[in-house]
Amino acid sequence: MTKYVMKRLIIGLIAVVLSVAINFVLIRVAPGDPITIMAGMDNPNQEMIDHLISKYGLDKPILTQFGIYLSNIARGDFGYSYRNNQPVMGLIGQRLFPTFLMTFSAAILALVIGSALGLAAARTRDSRMDRFFSSISYIFDAMPGFWLALMLILLFASRLKWFPTMGMINMRAGYTGWAHVLDVLYHLALPVICLVLLNVPRYFRITRAAVLQVMSEDYITLFRASGMNEKQIFRKFVLKNALLPTVTIFGLSLAGCFMGASLIEIVFAWPGMGRLLLDAITKRDYSVLSGVYFIFSMMLVSATILVDVVCAALDPRIRLE
Amino acid sequence: MALLDIRNVNIVYKMEGHDILACDDVNITMETQDSLGIVGESGSGKSTLAMGILGLLPTNITSIAGEIIFKGTNLIGLSREDYAKLRWKELSAVFQKSMNSLSPVHKVGKQMAAIYRVHMPSASDSECRKMGYNLFEKVGLSSRVYDAYPHELSGGMAQRVAIALSLMFHPALVILDEATTALDVITEGQILRELVTLQEKEKMASIVITHNVSVVATTCKKVVVMYAGRIVESGWTDQVLVTPKHPYTQGLLKSFPAFHGERQSLRGIPGSLPDLSMRIPGCVFAPRCPHAVDRCHKERPSDILLGEHWRVACFLVEGDEKQ
Repeated sequence: MTKYVMKRLIIGLIAVVLSVAINFVLIRVAPGDPITIMAGMDNPNQEMIDHLISKYGLDKPILTQFGIYLSNIARGDFGYSYRNNQPVMGLIGQRLFPTFLMTFSAAILALVIGSALGLAAARTRDSRMDRFFSSISYIFDAMPGFWLALMLILLFASRLKWFPTMGMINMRAGYTGWAHVLDVLYHLALPVICLVLLNVPRYFRITRAAVLQVMSEDYITLFRASGMNEKQIFRKFVLKNALLPTVTIFGLSLAGCFMGASLIEIVFAWPGMGRLLLDAITKRDYSVLSGVYFIFSMMLVSATILVDVVCAALDPRIRLE
Repeated sequence: MALLDIRNVNIVYKMEGHDILACDDVNITMETQDSLGIVGESGSGKSTLAMGILGLLPTNITSIAGEIIFKGTNLIGLSREDYAKLRWKELSAVFQKSMNSLSPVHKVGKQMAAIYRVHMPSASDSECRKMGYNLFEKVGLSSRVYDAYPHELSGGMAQRVAIALSLMFHPALVILDEATTALDVITEGQILRELVTLQEKEKMASIVITHNVSVVATTCKKVVVMYAGRIVESGWTDQVLVTPKHPYTQGLLKSFPAFHGERQSLRGIPGSLPDLSMRIPGCVFAPRCPHAVDRCHKERPSDILLGEHWRVACFLVEGDEKQ
């Protein structure tokens, strides 16, 4: 088991370094550069351009830039955002929590609701409930997220006025303490509902398929023939076998939690990572981009390792290497 | 009193729009310690019959009629609770594909203990372990299998575990449904020989379901040949498999190579199983039968008795007619 985990940690580290290198190159190869944006369109002054270039180290060879960047990252310094005039680390820090709050609560809810529905549907296969949820799951799975978000806002925020249309807090009220928590929850509801609706179908279908597959295995027939009652078979043997695919999907979507859901965040004006990323892309904010991508690759790698370890704990066949 | 008396059993799969008659008027009698082989090609209804005896047919898509009298109790229509009391203690099974007959994510011993506790709810861990070791000894497995995961076993070992499981409560009847089909011929031969010895030692009866005639020849005293849901011929193995009377049995035997005697080319049976959703008025084998006459297509043949136990459902066989 130690060898199993070590192997994954090393591969993970290599993956992170590679992704940092690829991001670094891709961002610089992409058209557009920050200097023209900073210097302004109207009256570009050559002196100012030269000054900016040397200030941000863009006059150095690209390999040297990469070396400086790597050593900075190693020291925990992700550079300075020219757009926001503050360190990248601080920017990401501010955005990480709102994003995580929204996506993580949505992921947990989607997991619980989706798997519960999937289990229920599998146990009453071909019942009216099973057919209803199976068909509706395709509709929500195929629905574009931003469109659903807009529709939810139109219906529940604009028309019914049950929820706020945007943001994470009521800026004017300036609540503190519990009032602040409630205010955040109130703003959180609609984006979370939107994400849950979009993600439930995945868990529903994976769980349903896994349970049906396990139920048709020979060992389940054997347990039935032995006189074991259905409840016990289900709890003791079906669940653990059917759990594996759901664990994998959930683990990977956990990584997605940190990346945020850019389009949903934009539609709901949620101050999260996804919006930070899109802003950074349009404004060619290199250091923010690299920082965000670094965090993403770290999270993805950690989540993958976590999934591997949990799956190995659940399934002895995976431990075998 | 017979151990198992199957009388006029019909099993129907209810599909959308049409019913498929998987077992059509099946009659089988078994005495205590009998060994009976059921042979037939895929789709002949042999596994369905086994599931019917075990009460494991999916109730929403099948219906079963007739009587299956096991030790004096009719299993058809028996309540779930009463059935559960018989299961594994009196009536156990070894299923197809032994590699899949254990959950891959639980240790062998844990699963054995779970089955043991179905009927011995208060058994302690050490009692379960002792029971497991005893069973493993009977089938020639080392005790370390108890703490192994199923994927750590070879095919033959998994098969032995499945057989050990079926012996747990010294049942009166064990049903082996294609139990050795997935094994290589050498392991299969070994396990079949061991089964015969075990059966005598444990004083149990067995039903061996297979498409392999040679398996029946080595393990069973009696044989039932099924085709398209009907029994076409039944009797002592050394009579039916040596001098088969029914054209289907003859065809089935010609589809296997013989070790001794003249070198013959192997022949299959031309054609395929009839559509079982249609009612067949005559003999089910008539469309594929090389000897079929007009009557075979129109009238259902009744059993012809040749001696005490030998029955053949064919118009072309001479003998005493009996319903």
